[in-house]
Amino acid sequence: MGNIRLITTIVSVASFVFFSFITLNVQAAEDLNCFICHKHRGLSRIDENGDFRLFYINKELFDSGPHRRNKCKDCHTDVDRIPHDPAEKIDCTKECHITEPSSELKYSHQNVADILAQSVHSKLDADGNPKEYQEDYPGCKDCHEQPMYRPFSLYKGKKEPGVAPRGLSRCKGCHTEGDFAEDFYEHVTSRMHKTRLPIETIDLCAKCHEDPELIERHDMHDAVETYKETFHGKLVLMGSEKTPDCIDCHVIVGENTHLIEPQNALSSAVHKNNLSTTCRTSDCHSSASDRLSEFRVHVTYEMEEYPMEFYMLMFFKSLMVIVLYFFLIIIFFELMRRLFPNFAFFKDKNPDSTPVVPETKQ
Amino acid sequence: MAAYEPIIVKNGKRYFYRFSAHQRIQHVILFTSVIILALTGFPLRHTDEAWSKPLYDFFGGPDLAPTIHRLAGTVLLVLFVYHTLYWLVLFIQRSIIPLYREGRLNPWTALQAFGGQVMIPNGNDGRDLVDTFKFLFYISNKPSRSYTMSWREKFDYFAVYWGIPVIGPAGAVLWWRDEISHIVPGWVLNGAYIMHTDESLLAVLFLFFVHWYNVHYAPEKFPGATVWLSGYLSEPEMMHEHYSEYVQQMTEAGLAAEIKKQHFGV
Amino acid sequence: MSIFRQIIYKGYVLLLMAFTIWYGSFMYFLIFGFEGKEKAAASIEALFSGEVAVPEEDLTEEERMFEQLLREQGARSETDLGFKVVDQPFIEGRFHHVGFRIQKDKASMCVRCHGNVPHNESKELRSFLNMHAFYLACEACHARTEEGEPAWEFGWYNKDNGDIVSNPVALVDIEEIYTSENADDIYPTYGNYGAKIAPGRQEGGEFKVLHGPKEIAFVEKYTEQQERLQPEKKSQMKTVIHRKVASEPVECDLCHTEEDPYFSFEELGYPPTRARELTNTAVVGMIRKYNEFYIPNFLSPGGQEKSEKE
Repeated sequence: MGNIRLITTIVSVASFVFFSFITLNVQAAEDLNCFICHKHRGLSRIDENGDFRLFYINKELFDSGPHRRNKCKDCHTDVDRIPHDPAEKIDCTKECHITEPSSELKYSHQNVADILAQSVHSKLDADGNPKEYQEDYPGCKDCHEQPMYRPFSLYKGKKEPGVAPRGLSRCKGCHTEGDFAEDFYEHVTSRMHKTRLPIETIDLCAKCHEDPELIERHDMHDAVETYKETFHGKLVLMGSEKTPDCIDCHVIVGENTHLIEPQNALSSAVHKNNLSTTCRTSDCHSSASDRLSEFRVHVTYEMEEYPMEFYMLMFFKSLMVIVLYFFLIIIFFELMRRLFPNFAFFKDKNPDSTPVVPETKQ
Repeated sequence: MAAYEPIIVKNGKRYFYRFSAHQRIQHVILFTSVIILALTGFPLRHTDEAWSKPLYDFFGGPDLAPTIHRLAGTVLLVLFVYHTLYWLVLFIQRSIIPLYREGRLNPWTALQAFGGQVMIPNGNDGRDLVDTFKFLFYISNKPSRSYTMSWREKFDYFAVYWGIPVIGPAGAVLWWRDEISHIVPGWVLNGAYIMHTDESLLAVLFLFFVHWYNVHYAPEKFPGATVWLSGYLSEPEMMHEHYSEYVQQMTEAGLAAEIKKQHFGV
Repeated sequence: MSIFRQIIYKGYVLLLMAFTIWYGSFMYFLIFGFEGKEKAAASIEALFSGEVAVPEEDLTEEERMFEQLLREQGARSETDLGFKVVDQPFIEGRFHHVGFRIQKDKASMCVRCHGNVPHNESKELRSFLNMHAFYLACEACHARTEEGEPAWEFGWYNKDNGDIVSNPVALVDIEEIYTSENADDIYPTYGNYGAKIAPGRQEGGEFKVLHGPKEIAFVEKYTEQQERLQPEKKSQMKTVIHRKVASEPVECDLCHTEEDPYFSFEELGYPPTRARELTNTAVVGMIRKYNEFYIPNFLSPGGQEKSEKE
């Protein structure tokens, strides 16, 4: 941290030397320290739509994600003075001051935006025309909060969450300057497993795919609800990390996770021609036959679409009702009988008269 | 098999022999595995309930609980096969071989012998059922008089005997899904899933109410019957549930004079 | 059989009968609870009646917004990083992590109606004012002494139970972080003290806040009974409740000043560095800058709001 402050100071001093007075004034927003106000937890208001807007920034959490090398102004470009007017919305595809090491170009999320535009979540249809209900299609912020690293250590075959001092010490031998080693360690290990728990992914998709209004408007299936009825979903809800979530099946192995394609697209992971490959990846049902993919994940128990499931369900429900309520009624009346043990409408004059017939025994 | 006394007297009370040690051990294995199966299975069936996750975590969470569930399931399936063999051996030993020795073994006598088995429903059960309903709806003041196994006990027995072949193989299919997929298509798993989960609900709802009523909640049993431990049934229980058998055993033991009158209630 | 035993027996039988009925209804929901499978339920309906009922919803935009707000009540967002779980309230459209749950002020009577984000009128100031509402009781700014009355004394009250407490530990922690060697690696928390500054007076050797338990009980009674109050009684009671509210709130630079501040940060237990920070340079400087360059009315929020209304 101390080193980052140092670098910041050096950069500011350099700016002072090279840029004009006006530029310095713009730079001032950074130097004036946004946290003089934004460190306060109560900095908030209610906006015109009744939304609660909280302007507090948790620096500790901000500093545990990949954006920690960015300054506030890298994204909030319109804020050029303190105090400032209400800030505009962020454009994630904007180039920021960080350099992408492989291309040495200014970094931007444009790539991801391009991939998203090819996916089922694109705001444009195949011909490039805007789809209906534009506002329903997700942008970056609909799925992503401020990302945070989820580093882990792998030592003697044991995977543990957090940064491993043993691993980091190996990096630090050569990469001595600043937080470079920490950054890289966290960045790389976070990428080596899923940065989101399956259950968080499910909740995320459910934000839209469980919303009855959106389901109706876009003629979707109850994807999340039905997934939760499978053993995949159930184990995920029980906290399993090894069980597939939405992305595992809906994105082809090796593709970017943003490339979720519609079922009817030939290259889609869930197209009927590709489904068996999707199920039988080496991490999953590798020893299964290709007919395993005939399993239906999103069963809604609708009569027309899932007749077998529907009638089986009906059979078992009927069986349950008949058996259980039959005995429930018998037990109820037997209990009631105990309250009036000797009453009867037609009394048997000699209740012991029934002959006791000996039974042949085994 | 060990010799046993049909009636023993302890502290001045009569107890009637009912289950052999062999059968009691089978019952203990049965209920232990069923309870473990229910405890490790139902958290998954009702994931949205508050108790599901703590309970599942108690059994080791997603890493361990499925293994426990499968282990208990295997035990239950093995027990099912064992019990069937056990019955077959007894049936052949006690019915078929004597018939064969007497030279009377033919399909008809074999079928008759099968029908005479203690667990097989017969005409007496029909009569008992009618008696039960007549008594319960105040049409008569005469409770039903069952033999060794009442119709309710037979139903209890066959509920389990039907349940295990439905739940068990369905569970095995879900367990060995990858291997099974070489034989049957994937949609069979959908069917197996419904069979496994819904039959389990039926079994658990039945066991925890109907069966537990019979052996735990019922006033003369509360807080619990002891026959599953000792193998002997007390006289009031015997009179209440198996009056015909009671009369028969007392008569056979030469205690016909001491037979008590049938009653209902305490 | 004794009567006593008979009663226990029958009582137990009745209990079991009630249990049977309960079990019957419990079972019903287990068997027919489709766990969200509404479509299957609709299919059953169709199987028996021949037609499917489609639920019709026709809400105005305001109604929908309102429903949405009600639905979001209590919504949480949890991020599991393995070594740490970030648990926070779900705030629609929020990108940055908050990392904490907002503590309720159970001891304030104002918050009961006005909520804890009450300032909304002055566009430039509302966030700042709401920020202060996190650790300042409403009365601290909105109740001024009448002419001739002595000035208020100030103290802290616990947000949870209203007890008068000494200065919060979190404040002292901030000071320690300021003075520690590796200050850059520790993240202090500002404004989350679990307590609020409120005006009051010494009564019998004890500090009592202006709005104590008596006043809160009065407001509670009012909120309970307002349904059945006559409209004019309502207005009357509201006037009484707001009797102490001054027309013009306390201005920023009355507190954020070195010379004779409205209340003394030191006396409230602010450690010296933090107190200095609040009364000179950074904060005061910003207020001045605001006042001079951007918003001339910055220093008098009441005046600003009035001018907006006009």
